[in-house]
Amino acid sequence: MDIVLRATLAFFFVLFVTRIVGRRELASLQPFDLILLVMIGDLVQQGVTQNDFSVTGLVLAGGTIAVLTVVVSYGSFRVPFLRPVLDGEPVIVVQDGEPIDRNLARNRITLGELLAAARQEGIGSLDRIEWAVLETSGRISFIERR
Amino acid sequence: MAVPQGLTLEHHRNLEGRQRRPVVRRVLVALLAGILLLGLLNLFGQRVDASSAETSGARLEVSAPTKVRGGIFFQARFRIQAVEEIANATVVLHPDWLEDITLNTVEPSPVGEASRDGRIALELGRIPAGDEHRLYLHFQVNPTGLGKRSQDVDLYDGGRLLLSLDRDAIVWP
Repeated sequence: MDIVLRATLAFFFVLFVTRIVGRRELASLQPFDLILLVMIGDLVQQGVTQNDFSVTGLVLAGGTIAVLTVVVSYGSFRVPFLRPVLDGEPVIVVQDGEPIDRNLARNRITLGELLAAARQEGIGSLDRIEWAVLETSGRISFIERR
Repeated sequence: MAVPQGLTLEHHRNLEGRQRRPVVRRVLVALLAGILLLGLLNLFGQRVDASSAETSGARLEVSAPTKVRGGIFFQARFRIQAVEEIANATVVLHPDWLEDITLNTVEPSPVGEASRDGRIALELGRIPAGDEHRLYLHFQVNPTGLGKRSQDVDLYDGGRLLLSLDRDAIVWP
């Protein structure tokens, strides 16, 4: 029983942390972020399984995480007002070539980072961008002028 | 210039109806930081807490964390100072000391062990006047352990109670 409760707590804690750290951190996967992710995974695993090395423990913990993933995803799909809480919402950060400073600041994205994201999409100048949208995944999608 | 499908300028650019979200996020981050601060302030252990009791004939000091968490190792040290000779010093522990807590070692090994009305009695033998006996117990908290525990300790000379020490501990999940 404990392992299911611990896995449930860990699931919602990780969900809570990923929602409050903001999308900027989710999108950037620098070497440091990658190591941090592995560290968090390790810390969570220790808290969930502790000294349980059994296959039963693996099935219970893994199964709990899987079921909760489906439940949360289904909840987000079926209950519209849960979506902003569980997934967040997109934010427009560039309109007609003009960066929207307030929205960038709110998501702790500098102009330099915005330009870098644009370059990764093969866009060399903001003038070419009609819309840039910070998606719920933390990535910025660009729609170029036609 | 049409807004991308699924987005609206009011909601996704002007962020109408989302003005309070940064505040909510800051409050949640502050809440998380508050928990960390409480951790730094030893609310969740495992700083050692020492407590003592004494009579004219003996003094007992117990040093052990009173806040522990599932899975951690910790040490309890019992210092018994005999002002007067104790012929058969016996430390009697409340059973909560071992409830959901694994005892790894006891050093030096007691002369004898017994149950005294459900409590754990460790006979240490004779302690001459002026001497000190140190007893170390090393524990590991079982991951399923949770809640308040008594860490009461009594010191006996044979069947005669010399002094008592009342302590409580809490086991965090």
